[in-house]
Amino acid sequence: MASIYLTRVRRPPPLYRLARVFRRVSLVALVLLILYLATVGYSASELVQSSPRSGGFSAGFAANNSVSIQGSFSLSNPGMYPVSALSLEMRIQNGSGALLGAVVAGPVTLAPQAATTFPISVYLPIQPVGAAASLLVSDQYLTLGLWGNATYAYLFPISIHFDQQRSWGAPFSNLRISVGTPVVGGGNLSAPVTVGFTNHASFAEVGNLALALLSARGAACGEVSFSLAVPPSGFYFQTENAAMTSGCSLSGGSAVATFVGSGASIVLPPEALP
Amino acid sequence: MTTPSSRMLDLSGYQVPPLSYRILAGSVRLVALLVLLVGLPDAVLAYLSSHGVTPPVPLLTVTVAGAVISGLVTARYILRPTRAFGPVSAASSFATIGYLLTIGLGAVYRLALPSRSIELTLGYGSLVELALLVPGLALVAGVLTTLEDLRSPGERLPFDFPP
Repeated sequence: MASIYLTRVRRPPPLYRLARVFRRVSLVALVLLILYLATVGYSASELVQSSPRSGGFSAGFAANNSVSIQGSFSLSNPGMYPVSALSLEMRIQNGSGALLGAVVAGPVTLAPQAATTFPISVYLPIQPVGAAASLLVSDQYLTLGLWGNATYAYLFPISIHFDQQRSWGAPFSNLRISVGTPVVGGGNLSAPVTVGFTNHASFAEVGNLALALLSARGAACGEVSFSLAVPPSGFYFQTENAAMTSGCSLSGGSAVATFVGSGASIVLPPEALP
Repeated sequence: MTTPSSRMLDLSGYQVPPLSYRILAGSVRLVALLVLLVGLPDAVLAYLSSHGVTPPVPLLTVTVAGAVISGLVTARYILRPTRAFGPVSAASSFATIGYLLTIGLGAVYRLALPSRSIELTLGYGSLVELALLVPGLALVAGVLTTLEDLRSPGERLPFDFPP
């Protein structure tokens, strides 16, 4: 099917030249796209393999009547493309789903071959008495929800969410307060008050625990203070004599304990008196 | 005596490959295209399904679209010396655009691993938009070739099949 067409030497027609340019640009775009996808895939696999690290989280009492959880979250990007607009949100819920606290970090841009650390500080308010107050006296499982949003390699918006169950050890776990029979001694009315609990928290409790003994109507019937120096996992069981007000009945009343120490003043949930 | 410039070609004795050769070479290309556009994606999707991961695109869509595009690209190759080359080129580009638009309809892939309480969402709408550039440019080329063939049938052959 060979044939000789037109003249011996000739310039391609304009439409043909234009079509050829479009075809070649299309081919170049395809090759570049394939190269881009291949490098994105490789970089993403590198990123996934460099698993994020969470710095040692620690809990403690904070001055603003809250339990604080401090820690850090490190992420490295060994790939070839940036992780831009990277933001993290962490929410802590108790077993019944009530939100105890949240923290937001970012947005930041994580350049290729770089690493970043997000400092995490969550404050769980425990006063006035709310869902977080039970953290003081009840061991429980907390749901740690982490949401991350970012754009990877300029084109891929990514969001990730995962939940994790973490056990929480209460600093005044199984708090028990009992009041004995009042006795008169030296003209003063007093009653033996026994306090017992276990420190399941990861931090020591050093300070004073002041108890206010209240009648069923909320009138102050007596008070007593205990000195505390309880290490983590330590058990506390102590009896002290409380100065009582005569004629004040504790029947149906309650005891309100206030812990003062570690730079914080924390009111514990009221304990009903038997 | 004139000397050809760098933009000019000596077009004497150009060769159009015979139909039998084009069919043979086109068949080889068809096999390669089917592997690339149907076999490979289907294998990946089947692998994901077998591991409990919902594929982002239905298997049937990938199979049908891959087969149609492979067929059109092969036909385009075989029909290159004819006036059907431009329309078939445009049709294959149009089919690719349709395929990409179908894939990019949701443009968000959600991967949930309930056993590990992890949910990952990946948006790929921008990638699809960028990828549309490739068939878009090829579509323009196909339309221009059609116009060229209408204007002057066969004029491009010495340049498509140089000696």
